[in-house]
Amino acid sequence: MSTNKEYLQIEREKEWRVELRKTIANKERTAKERVRMPEMDPQERIKYQDREVNIGLSADQAQGEATRCLDCANPTCIEGCPVSINIPKFVKYIEAGKFLDAAKTLKETSALPAVCGRVCPQEKQCEATCFYTQKMKKDPVAIGHLERFAADYERESGFMSVPEVAPANGIKIAAIGSGPASLSFAGDMIKLGYDVTVFEALHEIGGVLKYGIPEFRLPNKIVDVELDNLQKMGVKFVRNFIVGKTASFDDLKEEGFEAFFVASGAGLPRFMNIPGENYNGILSSNEYLTRVNLMNAAKDEFDTPVIKGKTVAVIGGGNTAMDSVRTAKRLGAERAIIIYRRSRAEMPARVEEVHHAEEEGIEFLNLANPVEYFADEKGKVNRVRVQRMGLGEPDASGRRRPIVLEGSEYDIPVDLVVVAVGVSPNPLIPSEVKELKVSKWGTIEVTEETMQSSIPEMFAGGDIVRGGATVILAMGDGRKAAANMDEYLQNKHKAN
Amino acid sequence: MANISTRFFGLDLKSPVIAASSSMTGHAEQVIKLAEAGAGAIVLKSIFEEEIFHELQEELSLRTPLNSDPEYLDYFDYVIKEETIRKYLHLISEVKAKTAVPIVASINCVSSSDWTLFARKIEEAGADALELNMFIAPSDISKTSENNEQFYLETIERVLQAVRIPVTIKISHYFSNLSAIVKKLSGTGIAGITIFNRFYSPDIDIHSETIVVADVLSTSHDYLLPLKWTGILSGQMKIDLSATSGIHTAETAVKFLLSGASAVQIASVIYHEGPSAITRMNQGISDWMDQKGYKSISEFQGSLSQAATSAQAWERTQFMKYFGEKTY
Repeated sequence: MSTNKEYLQIEREKEWRVELRKTIANKERTAKERVRMPEMDPQERIKYQDREVNIGLSADQAQGEATRCLDCANPTCIEGCPVSINIPKFVKYIEAGKFLDAAKTLKETSALPAVCGRVCPQEKQCEATCFYTQKMKKDPVAIGHLERFAADYERESGFMSVPEVAPANGIKIAAIGSGPASLSFAGDMIKLGYDVTVFEALHEIGGVLKYGIPEFRLPNKIVDVELDNLQKMGVKFVRNFIVGKTASFDDLKEEGFEAFFVASGAGLPRFMNIPGENYNGILSSNEYLTRVNLMNAAKDEFDTPVIKGKTVAVIGGGNTAMDSVRTAKRLGAERAIIIYRRSRAEMPARVEEVHHAEEEGIEFLNLANPVEYFADEKGKVNRVRVQRMGLGEPDASGRRRPIVLEGSEYDIPVDLVVVAVGVSPNPLIPSEVKELKVSKWGTIEVTEETMQSSIPEMFAGGDIVRGGATVILAMGDGRKAAANMDEYLQNKHKAN
Repeated sequence: MANISTRFFGLDLKSPVIAASSSMTGHAEQVIKLAEAGAGAIVLKSIFEEEIFHELQEELSLRTPLNSDPEYLDYFDYVIKEETIRKYLHLISEVKAKTAVPIVASINCVSSSDWTLFARKIEEAGADALELNMFIAPSDISKTSENNEQFYLETIERVLQAVRIPVTIKISHYFSNLSAIVKKLSGTGIAGITIFNRFYSPDIDIHSETIVVADVLSTSHDYLLPLKWTGILSGQMKIDLSATSGIHTAETAVKFLLSGASAVQIASVIYHEGPSAITRMNQGISDWMDQKGYKSISEFQGSLSQAATSAQAWERTQFMKYFGEKTY
């Protein structure tokens, strides 16, 4: 679905939009306060691993918030959206009470609206480029909350729309990995008539959406509904299949696959390589969250438990660290501590996540960094030695760099440590396909405009290209790869 | 040929000519060539923590246009550090497998916790000794001389607790009382001190009116400062000394041995001449010893140090008498 200016203008000038704009004066629209997302009580919610913190807007709240949108002639909000959702159109449908149409609009360009409405950093994307933020210096329209509302409304209404797909063109293509980049890619390619198969190494489809994000932030059932939608459109999902091990690319080519989209993610946990990091009771956030999110480790009746520490230290300041520390709290930690070497201002985590963590009683030990771990006689971690840090000049990312304060170490008793200092690209495909051009850090190199790799029939996107990408950026990569793979395949078939 | 063996890094060395840490000692094949040329020991290229920081800056700049998740880059310095150390440890094991000449690792960090961590790994990889390439440019006015000295002492203490291989340090001359700090350092348990670090030096191009990089290689006159301090320090305390800067000939190396050094470290002359500079210097030292009738270095090492001669010759600070007698 095109989102060029001309198209947007035509859509904006449709009679219903013109009439709707006239119903409320702009002065009145801008005088309204931004809606507040209703939340579950912090003391209550920490008792449950699988109950969402954000409850969602009511229809009245959503409509009220939608009236704040000025339906701008130049909708800058769309520029901030990596998948180019027609934001004013869906918001205006909400204002008009046509919630199912709003959901349908979202699906024109997004394969995962209910997911994006929950986990996308809208404050850094569409809401950052909203007219309210840029020109009026006021709180932006709550686009993310409205997106979630529309998607949830449709799901709960029982009238889920399935986007139209073009007649099958008989061309087989594969997506490797089933995270947001792949799902977005698959959604666009199936609409174009391709025969799309998504290969997933794990037993569950969804990639990081399932194993990485806890259910209190993104319930698995929400992801499943979006997956079901893709399946209804014709996307095939193959589980427990490791491309490069279960079958090689050559094997898949022999089976008729003509092009591939590699979105194998960044599943390789990173550690700090400090003394004592191999003791029992110290694990990566990947392992910790995967065990809880995907393998039911929090439930006593399952055979793959996770250590439930009483004093849990989580190292890092990103969303993964917040997810881990809040998970630990829900699993019964009396003290759940974030240990982060910069200050709160430099934390990569979303402001909302930090706020929720604080509400839940998470302790923040900022400007501190672990330097060594100690263990009891059985090799189980019992202490972490941290070093105080200061902040130096800003580095190339614009954030102030952490500086060691010599001689400032002290110990904190702990019985579980979760290391959440980032992840590295999954090395399997880059190591399997020797002719693939890969950066020194293991990311696949692609042409930025097309997402095409050094192997013409291989496109790539998401974490395996960027090192780390937000859900929505990964989805944007999937869409861009789909458009360019389509062009590549069409040209190839024409030439033949 | 005379016996030119000596002892430094707490190790017996076949020659007092050591290949100093430089870019030439960062590749296995070059290290082997230096060993074959007769180096007494080879100090591998230092791991510079500062370089890790610069590489991080490059990566941050590169990733910004890709809008990479900030979480991915938040601890990326650890990734770079790990990769740097991995390569370094590989270099140690590779050269250790190919030569019996002592291999000395060298690290240069700005925080003491990293020194400790690196040191442990280096020992595990099989290095025979470790040189701490320590310097703090004394330009931070918020720090006292005592603060800076304390950093050296604390770091050494930590590293010595962490490893069993001999540890030496390479220092600069930027101390308010060099003799006093060397005395303190020699009491820490280190196996030797090398004087002095060679710093990056800025220069000024008066035509373009810009700051430029001064010549990085030493000239044959640069040896006078370390020679003076070798002469002064060698008799003052019991610690093995080696010297570096401007040592390009066997004659200069002999001067250092006479002033009390156990060994010399060379780099610039190898850049100019290649590994054969080591062979040439070994031969030159041996020839001089034969000529003088010395059978071993211990027979003459330190015979011209301050302790063995006059204090005035080494410690005179001004040239009043010398210039007072000059006429033009």
